[in-house]
Amino acid sequence: MGTFAETPGTTAIGVKPRRAPWLKRIAWRVLAAIFVLWAAATFTFFVQELLPGSKATLILNQEHGTQQTYSAKELKPVEERYGFDEPVTTQYFNYIKGLAHGDLGTSYQQHKPVLTIISEEVGPTIVLTVTSLILAWIFALATILLTARRKRAVSALGSGWEIFSAGLPYYWLGVILLVVFSIELKIFPVQGGTSVEGLVLPALTLAIPLAGFIGQVTRDEFEKVLDQPFVTSARARGMGDLAVRVKHVLRHAVLPAVTLSGWALGALISGAVIVETVFARPGIGQMIVTAATNRDVPLVSGVVMLVAFIYVISNILVDVAYAIIDPRLRG
Amino acid sequence: MNRQDKTHSSSQTQRTPNRSAFALCRNSRGKVRTHLVVAAAAAMALVLAVALSACGGSSATGAGGSSASASGSGTDSGNVAGAEAAATVSVDSKPKQGGTIYYAHEQETPCLTGGWVQEAFIERQYADELVSQTKSGKIVPWLATSWDTSKDGLVWTFHLKPGVKFTNGEPLNAKAVVQNFEYWSDPSNGNGVVPYLANYYKSAKALDDTTVQVTLSKPYAPLLSSLSQGYDGIIAPATYAKGTEAICNEPIGSGPWIIDKWTHGQNITFSRNPNYNSAPANALHQGPAYAEKLVWSFVADPTTRYGSLTTGQSNVIYDVPAPDWAAAQENYEVQQYITPGRPLTLDLNMAQGPFSEKPVREAFAYGADRKAAVESAFEGKVPYNGNGALSKSTPMQDAGLEELWPFNQEKAEQLLDQAGWKVGSNGIREKDGKPLNIKLVYGAGSLITTEGATVLEDLQSQWKEVGFNVELKPATLTQLFSGEYSTPDKYDATIGYWTSPTAGVLLIVWKPWDSKTEPNGNDQSFYDNPHLVDLIEKGNESPDPAEQKKNYYAAQEIVTKEQVAVVGVYVQETSIAVEKNLHGVWLEASQGEPVFSDAYFGSEGEG
Repeated sequence: MGTFAETPGTTAIGVKPRRAPWLKRIAWRVLAAIFVLWAAATFTFFVQELLPGSKATLILNQEHGTQQTYSAKELKPVEERYGFDEPVTTQYFNYIKGLAHGDLGTSYQQHKPVLTIISEEVGPTIVLTVTSLILAWIFALATILLTARRKRAVSALGSGWEIFSAGLPYYWLGVILLVVFSIELKIFPVQGGTSVEGLVLPALTLAIPLAGFIGQVTRDEFEKVLDQPFVTSARARGMGDLAVRVKHVLRHAVLPAVTLSGWALGALISGAVIVETVFARPGIGQMIVTAATNRDVPLVSGVVMLVAFIYVISNILVDVAYAIIDPRLRG
Repeated sequence: MNRQDKTHSSSQTQRTPNRSAFALCRNSRGKVRTHLVVAAAAAMALVLAVALSACGGSSATGAGGSSASASGSGTDSGNVAGAEAAATVSVDSKPKQGGTIYYAHEQETPCLTGGWVQEAFIERQYADELVSQTKSGKIVPWLATSWDTSKDGLVWTFHLKPGVKFTNGEPLNAKAVVQNFEYWSDPSNGNGVVPYLANYYKSAKALDDTTVQVTLSKPYAPLLSSLSQGYDGIIAPATYAKGTEAICNEPIGSGPWIIDKWTHGQNITFSRNPNYNSAPANALHQGPAYAEKLVWSFVADPTTRYGSLTTGQSNVIYDVPAPDWAAAQENYEVQQYITPGRPLTLDLNMAQGPFSEKPVREAFAYGADRKAAVESAFEGKVPYNGNGALSKSTPMQDAGLEELWPFNQEKAEQLLDQAGWKVGSNGIREKDGKPLNIKLVYGAGSLITTEGATVLEDLQSQWKEVGFNVELKPATLTQLFSGEYSTPDKYDATIGYWTSPTAGVLLIVWKPWDSKTEPNGNDQSFYDNPHLVDLIEKGNESPDPAEQKKNYYAAQEIVTKEQVAVVGVYVQETSIAVEKNLHGVWLEASQGEPVFSDAYFGSEGEG
């Protein structure tokens, strides 16, 4: 395994091996994660605070379905109910204090604890995004292994497809898949809900552009590694082409894309906003839009915290994956 | 209340994919490692994105609008959307029991009670109201079997149907009804009844188990009509006892359907109330619903929604997309509901800016062909509404004002010339060195659909021909909710609607806006006229329909013809398409709420 450790340098990963003891690294990780969450919470709080219009007005208009201004007399009970009459700093500290106790607050519009709302709705989105990520990797690797550095036409086809698919807009792709496979061919349900057959098209919609993107990132690397001396030596030892590609080349070439997968998982959530609407699928995507539209501050903040949390977790997973793929990184 | 939902076609705006993120990623290749920094940055980016979508992007969510009294839309579909339709449906033998009705709605609301039309739609399924309004505007018994009014019109006594129970077993008695009135009359509770009761409600008390006495501060003829809307469903005391969260999420009524489960982002499932004994007098039948279950799903995207009907996944869909309108007429039973109340109306800011001059308002009304613009943008689906005060389906709407301000650009130019607005070098008129700039704010993707925006763009170019420089300024729902466009310095014109089953809505709109004691945020023309308010109040207070009509007509004439405070454009409407094997679905008359308790599936080959 460690045999090829001495080769790289050229792989443009730019990673310095770390030697810190595990414990220290974990502690550092946790601290940094807390910092990220705190920063996200603080930033969200103040951005929402700085938007024009009073929150009490917003709540009243939202509840009544109006777009008017209200007198101080009408606003007062709402301000008292939600504590808007307190100074902003007090509101902020109360908010952070609540967060520290795991209390994300209560939604202005759904009148339910944010934590309850999110935990009820996040499941289908996680299933969707993780499935999409896995599919994207399968598609990307298959395309690379089959087309990279093959006959010129085949290679061009592979990389052309990657460029094309990476640029496909989710809404467009989703509607095309829906019209073709659900409405015309009736293979999949139109309103997918949370059923397994309902997962196929939404996951494909997210996976296809991401596969193109992962493919693009990996292909360059893959082709570079194919020129490395250790590849030649492996071939010289009589190793078959496929084995060389899978066992040796891929191992190096996937590193950049693995790193980006952590980021992609978060990005897929924003894609889920569109995909969930097109396929009438439950999840937090639609909730994010509604919460932002109605400026449901606690809910928006809760979702931001959730996404920040997902980024943190997925980046830790990426580190683990790194260590597994690239033994030099094992502390 | 009742305005804002209509977000549907807005999904357009939401469709922009975010490829930029991928591009960003591409650049970062090669120097990955500072994960946490990346994570933090990404989190920030998301916050920003959310914040931006809150202030700039339009919300696409979806959803439907409001509605109200049915008017049979298509000629072929002819099914009457009013209980009066009874005869057409129940001629054949006994309707079949059982089955599940799958209904694909558009917008999901934050709560199952509240001030949104969409909330009224849902409340209609699980709760009963005191009275019901028929298509012709008549009020018929529901939970109240009869009612009487004192001579001075101040005291209303409702006699309740005995033996009605909420679906949790609590009795639906006078005490429970009083509790509902008390909840509605508190303006800090979001509810669609509040603006109607605000000026008139004084108190309610239970005289005995089945008698409720409501006392008003002034006579109010539209009381019954306003109580016939879905917002006014009577909710169980147990729900109120549990508080806000329960009122929003798990309200209990006495209606034909019981909420089983609300799966957010997906659907609400209802089972029929097996003991239902309190259908309104205009229902097609009394007793429990025929079907066993009702699945009310939320399908915001129009393509998906219509697709779920064509593939048989839904039996009924809400808001037939304009491009599918013709095909739907052929293959399904289509019912359209022309919403009464205030139509989609241009409100001209009379307090400041160019529209403070009446000739400029007149010129604006003459200057563009509103009728043609509506017909072309909506492909014939949505009718033009020339009377800017009330929509054509509102009882006591003055149809004589429909042809007001016909398209006449010569007249418009003449008026502007006379008012001293001369054509400048770039074709835009000027007066005292100031160009004739008009800022027209509209709720893009919420109040105004994509088709509605097309109408505005069309009008904009015509107004330019007579020298108006109209800037169309889309506003997000967040901006509207935050009251950003609610003062005279913020726009010259805006456009909106207000669904209501009664001409009494005129008071909600035209109460004085700059009153120190009770400022009225709904007067978007910023027009104060004590005489106008007086006329409307007279209409509201008179028990005599002829007297009501006289006053309401006079009020409509003032705001449309005499003052040009508002200029009518088109009606708010909703529609449903029903598969032909399902019979007896109808749209009630106060808000166009779909009613499923009379619906039953036909046998094979029928229909």
